[in-house]
Amino acid sequence: MLKKIEGRVWKLWNNIDTDIIYPGKYLPIIEAKEMALHALEGYDKDFPKKIKKGDIIVAGANFGCGSSREQAATSLKHAGIACIVAKSFSRIFFRNAINQGLALVISKEAHKLVKEGEEVTIDFAKGKLSTQKGETDFPPLPEMVMGILDDGGLIAHTRKRLGISRADSM
Amino acid sequence: MKIPHKKELIELQKKYRTDKRIGEALGGVPAYLVAYWRRKKKIGRYNYPKYSEEQIKELWERLGDDAKAGEELGIGSHAFRRWRKRYKLKEKPVQLKLEQLKLELDINFNLLRKSMKYTIARNLLASKAGKKKVEVGEIVEVEPDLAMSHDNAGLVIKQFRQIGVEKVWNNKKIVIPLDHRAPAESEKTAIAHKSIREFVREQEIKNFYDIREGVCHQVVVEKAHLLPGQLAVGTDSHTTSYGCIGAVSTGIGATEMAVVWATGRIWLLVPETIKITIDGKLPKGVYAKDVILNLAKRLTVEGANYKAIEFYGSTVKEMSISERFTLSNLSMEMGAKFAVVPFDETAQTYLVGRTNKNYEPVFAGEEAEYVQEVELRVERMVPQVACPDNVDNVKNVAEVTRVRIDQVVLGSCTNGRLDDLEIAAKILKGRKVHLDVRMLVIPASRSIYLQAMEKRFLRDFIEAGCVVLNPGCGPCLGAHQGILAPGERCLATTNRNFKGRMGSPEAEVYLGSPATAAASAIRGRITDPREFL
Repeated sequence: MLKKIEGRVWKLWNNIDTDIIYPGKYLPIIEAKEMALHALEGYDKDFPKKIKKGDIIVAGANFGCGSSREQAATSLKHAGIACIVAKSFSRIFFRNAINQGLALVISKEAHKLVKEGEEVTIDFAKGKLSTQKGETDFPPLPEMVMGILDDGGLIAHTRKRLGISRADSM
Repeated sequence: MKIPHKKELIELQKKYRTDKRIGEALGGVPAYLVAYWRRKKKIGRYNYPKYSEEQIKELWERLGDDAKAGEELGIGSHAFRRWRKRYKLKEKPVQLKLEQLKLELDINFNLLRKSMKYTIARNLLASKAGKKKVEVGEIVEVEPDLAMSHDNAGLVIKQFRQIGVEKVWNNKKIVIPLDHRAPAESEKTAIAHKSIREFVREQEIKNFYDIREGVCHQVVVEKAHLLPGQLAVGTDSHTTSYGCIGAVSTGIGATEMAVVWATGRIWLLVPETIKITIDGKLPKGVYAKDVILNLAKRLTVEGANYKAIEFYGSTVKEMSISERFTLSNLSMEMGAKFAVVPFDETAQTYLVGRTNKNYEPVFAGEEAEYVQEVELRVERMVPQVACPDNVDNVKNVAEVTRVRIDQVVLGSCTNGRLDDLEIAAKILKGRKVHLDVRMLVIPASRSIYLQAMEKRFLRDFIEAGCVVLNPGCGPCLGAHQGILAPGERCLATTNRNFKGRMGSPEAEVYLGSPATAAASAIRGRITDPREFL
């Protein structure tokens, strides 16, 4: 189960849309590793190179609005983003991220507290986000949503529910 | 007296049949004289059948029943059947017309309101989950009536294979139209398309539409794959569009779709609902697109996030399915989960001839609980334009008429239907697209393309200097067919103007109605369409 993560912060603004996260021209790519090379390219062309494994994005409201393209979530996860904190998430992005096993935190306060580049700690068990400036509480995600996240995404979760072991699939 | 011309005489003969009766109709000319005229003009004796083929065919297609059709002609059912056989009309008509369906579809609207306090979303999810009661915020597991994917079915297939289930849950409920990159613009897409075609064959998926058919959402609605009161999920955010016929539908990601294919199940949260009431007569030059852009400005791009929208009011009531499509399509840009125009006679009429299946519409109760109620009057509205880089950055057209444009795109699931093309064609007819502007026209489906051809709209476009492309998504998502270079500006009738949406992140996209698009193409800058109406 997800407990505690620490990571460096990338601070983004409101309404980060799916065309900023993953431009439409890369949609034919189906390998996650290749998708990761284009994560947030619309924000900063070199962003994928700058990301370190375990980094955290802290954004404003409506993160991931726009297209249903799952590649937005997949590319961020495989680029190394450990968690996204936002004031709110767009509905489809929220589901896609959970389904890819990418942790999300909904917090209205975090954006004010954090500075770009600082290290923050997110404690999922306690629902606490700690920064240099202070702490803030965030509400837990619904139980069934946490269940999907804990299993490492929807595919693994479904396999578990259907009782399919690794060896059965191709 | 004046002797009738040959043509007139033939017409008279068709009407009155015998020489005697023709003579009577001409005011007492003897039959032998009429016969003499006939011989002189080389017209044979009357040998037309009593009922023409068109007449019999029309009755048969409209009524589909010998007795009823015979009754209209004052003959018996056997007699009608003989006429029908004479014209080789053997099969029952597939496409039933209005009168016939109305008999079967005597809907008792009151019976269908499940709970007085429930919104459409709550009513539908309760019945899909097989529960008497569901609360807003509750998570229910349901089986969708339709699972739609387009080119991204390639990714869905990849995820489906990972699950380890061999067969899809229901090969009749999956619809796959290829539209986003049609025909394939790259080898990667070609490979994806090929894998989709192979999967479709392997799984015997019934409703697959290769690149020829058009934009997925248009195809689903046009071919009535989803009916009022049903639930659809689709791997495209604009899946909300099916609300135009009173269905409930929403977008999901590829992995989630793979699980729907494997299990036939999906979890959905019962959403809060916003009630939007639009009243008044639309002024000249103002269309459904302007109305919904104006609403996006009021509600903002996250104003309906996680929420359902229901549309009411006299303006909506007057709207065609195509216009309602524009409303429910663009509701997604406010974050809406569902966007429904409740089922009514307009939707019923639209479906006649498209389906012969029974359906059960879902309505909201009279005391339905809404989280927000928005009222809008449209009489004094002016054409609206969404400016870069968000759909809620909406201005009156007069504020942006200085913006020069390089490209105009008319099409997409938002505004690529016959009425949209007609509005633009009427403005462009006899005029020319500005020399500095590239105008792309993309009918939303094959059927619209054909109708636009028959109505000569395509001719008007081509003569005006437009480029008419094949049905599909075109450049809407920046995949191909009209990518923008840095610094270029485009006015599109599509649904998104995000940074980089149509190509370069340094290009700009403005959104407007088909009329605004056509007017702007002529002037080379954003233009109030009322100047041309």
